[in-house]
Amino acid sequence: MIDQALIDKINSVLAEEFEVEIERIIPEAPLMQTLDLDSLDLVDMVVLIEHNFGFTVVAKDFVGIKTFNDFYHYINNRLNEKGAPE
Amino acid sequence: MKKGHPNDWSGKSRGGSAGYLVFVFLLKRLGLSAAYLLLAFVVLYFIPFAPSSTKSVWFYSRRILGNSVISSLIFLYRNYYNLGVALIDKTAASSGLYDKFTFIFDEPTDVKEILSGSSGAIIIGAHFGNWEVGAPYFGKYGKRMNVVMMDAEYRNIKNILEKENKIGAFSVIPVSEESLDHVFIIRDAIARGEYVALQGDRLTINGKNIKIPFLGRVAPFPQGPFVLASRTEAPVIFYFAIREGFRRYRFVFKLFNADNTSRRKGGELKILESYKMELERVVKSAPEQWYNFYKFWL
Repeated sequence: MIDQALIDKINSVLAEEFEVEIERIIPEAPLMQTLDLDSLDLVDMVVLIEHNFGFTVVAKDFVGIKTFNDFYHYINNRLNEKGAPE
Repeated sequence: MKKGHPNDWSGKSRGGSAGYLVFVFLLKRLGLSAAYLLLAFVVLYFIPFAPSSTKSVWFYSRRILGNSVISSLIFLYRNYYNLGVALIDKTAASSGLYDKFTFIFDEPTDVKEILSGSSGAIIIGAHFGNWEVGAPYFGKYGKRMNVVMMDAEYRNIKNILEKENKIGAFSVIPVSEESLDHVFIIRDAIARGEYVALQGDRLTINGKNIKIPFLGRVAPFPQGPFVLASRTEAPVIFYFAIREGFRRYRFVFKLFNADNTSRRKGGELKILESYKMELERVVKSAPEQWYNFYKFWL
């Protein structure tokens, strides 16, 4: 179970960074299409994750992330691995 | 900013491995002068038989530089010839013939401090002059040079580099449209305190571009190198190697003055504007050493 506060924080930073309405960010929605991301935008995604959640992203992290729900789980799992409080 | 453009470069540079190997052979067996002499004739072949390149050089000379028809014919020949000389010289230099050349360094103190410090750096160059001839120079600071290259171009020259044992002179970071791996490789190289060299003037297929005036006419520049430079914490240095005469090169360095805004989203435009000013300055000093043989301007 992912803490709702974490989900809200993720949604908030994604909406602000990629200039989409926060209402469009729902767990089942496709991440790349909703945020209109291409490979260059993923550079910003990496920076955003590292600055806001304090862990280092590696290339294989993005494999398998298709929806926002996948993304929430990814952030949550990495934070748990890191052992840092959210 | 948009993706794709009819001007897009194919990702492969003109000239195949056979041509490259002919010059390597000549250099080894007959020396630099013989290679220059052969080049004088080879250029005559390229003018009619590389029509799209010739057309782009003609446009550059007539419309951008404002040369007359006669001057443009001479310019055309000199442009191709200079490209050939650049190819020969970089091959000679990387083969250990450094003592045949004179290198002059325009290296401000702030650049020296960064290059000799412990941090990595992003080096942004251009398809101008002969940047590779100076690449081994960066090794004097004991740091590794990584060159970011389109995957298609890398595949094209990989066998040659391996065959000529040049693969160790610098590491190549291949960029593919389908993968994000290069972003992480670049970041890791910077974190290790290494240099990462990118070319700031070449569009990629389906790559995003930023259109700005360059030499008086709007041209699309690739967004990727400037986004990468903006988002890393590393210093950004513009670097150009200008051929000033027979076996004589000047290396020009300029440190980009980064601030908080240039490190954020949108900061790429600030870096590009600064890069463009430096590029314009060096291109105006040696317009025949500009080697973008495709429709560069809109």
